[in-house]
Amino acid sequence: MNTKSYFFQSFAIVALAFVAFIGFKQILPNKIFSDSKLDSKNVLIDSLLLESVAKDSLSSEDDSISESNGKQKIVYDKTGGIEFPSETFDNYKGYQYLISFYEKLYQLEKNPQSKVRIAYYGDSMTDGDLIVQDVRVNYQERFGGNGVGFVSITSESAASRASVKSLYSKNWKMQSYLNVKRPVSPFGVNGHVFFANNRSNATWVQYEAGTNKFSTTLDNPTLFYGRSSKSGKVNFIIGKDTLKKSLVSNSLVNTLKVTSGSIKAFKASFVQSDSIPIYGFNFDNGSGVHVDNFSQRGNSGLPISMFDASVMQAFNNTLKYDLVILHYGTNVLNYGTKNYSWYEKGMTKVVNKIKESFPGVSILIISTADKSTKYAQEMKTDSAVVPLMNAQKKYALETESGFVNLYTLMGGDGSMVKWVDESPAKANKDYTHFNQRGAKAIGKLLYDQLNKGYEDYKVLRQKRDVNPNKRRAAGRVDSVSVKTDSVNE
Amino acid sequence: MITIDSINDWFIQNFGAISIEQVKSWFIYNPDEKLLFNTGLFLGLFLVFYFVYAFLRKTFYLRLTYVILFSLFFYYKSSGIYFLLLLLSSVVDYGLSQIIYREKKDNVKKIYLVISVILNLALLGYFKYMNFLIVTFNDMFSGNFELHNVFLPVGISFYTFQSMSYIIEIYREEIKPTKNYIEYLFFVSFFPQLVAGPIVRAKDFLPQIYEKLNLTRQDVNNALFLIIGGLIKKTVISNYISVNFVDRVFDTPMNYTSFENLMASYGYAIQIYCDFSGYSDMAIGIALLLGFKLPTNFRTPYKSTSITDFWRRWHISLSTWLKDFLYISIGGNREGSFAGYLFPSLFFFGLLLWGITNYTTSIIPLIVAISGVTLFCLSFLLSSKRKQTLVTNFNLFTTMLLGGLWHGAGAQFIVWGALHGLALAVHKIFSEFFPSKKDKSPNFLWKFFSILITFHFVVFCWIFFRARDFQTALQVINNIGQLTFEPENWKIIVLGYKNVFLLMLFGYVWHFLPEVLTNKMKFVFDKTPLLLKAVVLGFVYWIVYATAVAGSQPFIYFQF
Repeated sequence: MNTKSYFFQSFAIVALAFVAFIGFKQILPNKIFSDSKLDSKNVLIDSLLLESVAKDSLSSEDDSISESNGKQKIVYDKTGGIEFPSETFDNYKGYQYLISFYEKLYQLEKNPQSKVRIAYYGDSMTDGDLIVQDVRVNYQERFGGNGVGFVSITSESAASRASVKSLYSKNWKMQSYLNVKRPVSPFGVNGHVFFANNRSNATWVQYEAGTNKFSTTLDNPTLFYGRSSKSGKVNFIIGKDTLKKSLVSNSLVNTLKVTSGSIKAFKASFVQSDSIPIYGFNFDNGSGVHVDNFSQRGNSGLPISMFDASVMQAFNNTLKYDLVILHYGTNVLNYGTKNYSWYEKGMTKVVNKIKESFPGVSILIISTADKSTKYAQEMKTDSAVVPLMNAQKKYALETESGFVNLYTLMGGDGSMVKWVDESPAKANKDYTHFNQRGAKAIGKLLYDQLNKGYEDYKVLRQKRDVNPNKRRAAGRVDSVSVKTDSVNE
Repeated sequence: MITIDSINDWFIQNFGAISIEQVKSWFIYNPDEKLLFNTGLFLGLFLVFYFVYAFLRKTFYLRLTYVILFSLFFYYKSSGIYFLLLLLSSVVDYGLSQIIYREKKDNVKKIYLVISVILNLALLGYFKYMNFLIVTFNDMFSGNFELHNVFLPVGISFYTFQSMSYIIEIYREEIKPTKNYIEYLFFVSFFPQLVAGPIVRAKDFLPQIYEKLNLTRQDVNNALFLIIGGLIKKTVISNYISVNFVDRVFDTPMNYTSFENLMASYGYAIQIYCDFSGYSDMAIGIALLLGFKLPTNFRTPYKSTSITDFWRRWHISLSTWLKDFLYISIGGNREGSFAGYLFPSLFFFGLLLWGITNYTTSIIPLIVAISGVTLFCLSFLLSSKRKQTLVTNFNLFTTMLLGGLWHGAGAQFIVWGALHGLALAVHKIFSEFFPSKKDKSPNFLWKFFSILITFHFVVFCWIFFRARDFQTALQVINNIGQLTFEPENWKIIVLGYKNVFLLMLFGYVWHFLPEVLTNKMKFVFDKTPLLLKAVVLGFVYWIVYATAVAGSQPFIYFQF
């Protein structure tokens, strides 16, 4: 039998197939499995974002992002006699605008009984207390403080949160600023409002301390609820004891302490408390640093502009925020647009709302992290990342907020691919979210940048206090000014 | 001149301008771009290689050397400098096998065999298990040993097993050694099965080297059919659903709903089947194009009616290897041995310890541990041939434990192996009580439920196999445990991941297609003219290409 023909025929088939492939490549579309548009009704995404995007595509506004000069110098005016060195737009950090927060930290360092509070607003990146818990632990390690801060009643990520475990009955009615425009009662500081509307069954929530450092107990658990014309009852069950309390809902925001001191777990069961807006519980030991995680999946940040300022002020009277962190961006990357002027406008409104709600608070904007998309056959940094990061930097600068460039902080171009491929991996295969390990690293990076500002602040503060008296001690002044020079470089 | 220019233009348009750099990159090792069968580079290189191969078909040593060189290059592209390790281990193994063959005294023979087995396992152990051992040791005795920065050479588990089979078969006098090193190296380094199997047995493969190289029309048909199927399974189904769905859920199971967790488990079952079997099929097909017949490696395993049946259909070359060289070596179903008792005892001891240490937080681990031990004991205590079943079950359990560990260094692989070992023992005692009637086939319902139960058990075990660690596996299982019947929400999820679910469905339908139908398809394919076959293959290339460039699905959070 002649075998020749079959080897060459077989070669011919493979070779011809190759030619056929080239042909198919030319006539057939480039991709299969196109990214089908989802019915947004079923996907968790904020309604304000969808509106803004729709509006943006209608307006024929030309690309108004004036390529701002990255080398442009930003010079600060003195705040309380302190002036941080000038910086360029490229490297903008805006420590100057965090001075009031740094001063509070400084006071805390001198007097450990005082306290500092941070509200950390974020999207799914901070779900399950990722990143935020690491920022919290870093601060509490250095400045003291115990407790996980404010915790909502229910959350879609409650199950994945390790810093505090919570279980809740299924009959809670929840409204979120994500997709509700006119809530029955105003939203709480967490952007949610809950109602225990079921008359026949008890509506309950149960908390148990997690295993995180400085959060192994629930300290001074305190219920936050809003105003209502009706009154209600709540039973706090701690171990075998049941405390029956009534809910007096006269003020815009009311608090009710479960117990003083530290406990491991408790259950709150609401009886006949329909129409009373319930917000959540706060856990803190009354001194040191406390960081509240207000994460909401699918959030662009824009819904914060719907906050009722008077309600927020009422929250602030009790909680007394010193820093508000806005960590958003992930959810605005996927709209095929690279013009983020609409987002800039929207977020400027948000920052203004925060200023109105929490007077005198410092604000920190955290930019989007790196995110990868497949281009041809390779995962690369999504082309929208840098434009979005620049837009975020612009509104940070314009609203006089501090800024963390998370994109460059984690390594810049192509860094997400590295974080995913690294072994052990630090980010998930969606090339967007960090895992536990990565979140820890991010938390540390954020803390380090914030802390660098604080250390600089302490030096500047000392310089301010020392200078008027020791002006004559020329040598000293010289050495300080040399230092400033090196910062200026 | 116009024609040359236009050809050049056409070329640049379709392939882009080719720079020296690019050409270099084709031949230099790049850890990020392994030379897999489903890459364009492999196709290009293979075309050139195959063309020359066809001319060499009537030569012998020239052809062998040619294939060896290509194989070494292929391995170099996957593992860089470690191709030297392959060469080194082959020289040592070849030397030892020669000594064993010539040695007349049984005792001395045995000593050399032991030396070679230890050498091979030590090599495999260092590269694959060193860090696992260090981590385990550090965890158990709070030690502080530093991890080694070990690179895992691609396919080391496969070629180590393959050369071990050669030596053991020589020791057992089942085969004669090759006439020289070239022939041996050809067997060990044969590129189609080098990096991911099937594990070819010396006694199946060596005779083929000496036969006159032959390639029939039917061989080509079979090869193309296997390659087409393999490409679709591996690059379309497996890759797409893993990147766009399964990986994400297993990354953070608690962030997804119960239904998504369940679907990710089913998804992983079809993904791993398509991955392993798809690559095997391509390897078998390519070997066939070169004129070599490798054994079938997967026979639609999820159609198994029992776990014993499953292991006759899943990764057959591995399971027969384990049976012949591990299970039989430690005593098989005839006698017990130290190793046969050691590993199961260690495992069950560890299991009970785990149950006891976790007792304060939850009683469930202890219940699981005790029922595991009880089940295993019952599996031989209830048997009529108690002594023999005991031996068999211990040896079987050892085989499955070590087989699990072979898949990867990690506790979850041991658990996976243990679950299968336990299930095999349970099935054995079950069939002793309810023997299947030989003369007539079981009724449809019986068969249906057998398949359903076996399949779900296998899927359950895959959760451990896939999860990053034991904790994550438990999270997935817990999450699935909270599943409630909410068809409306399920529909939303399915629509959200439309492509993924369509591919999963396609994969399962294809898998469960009656054999009659697949045979029909094959028959039609065989009858198609050559040109049309080429077009079909070309179309499949395009599908592979288009899937590879398809953007990944953005993450979705559903609201209910």
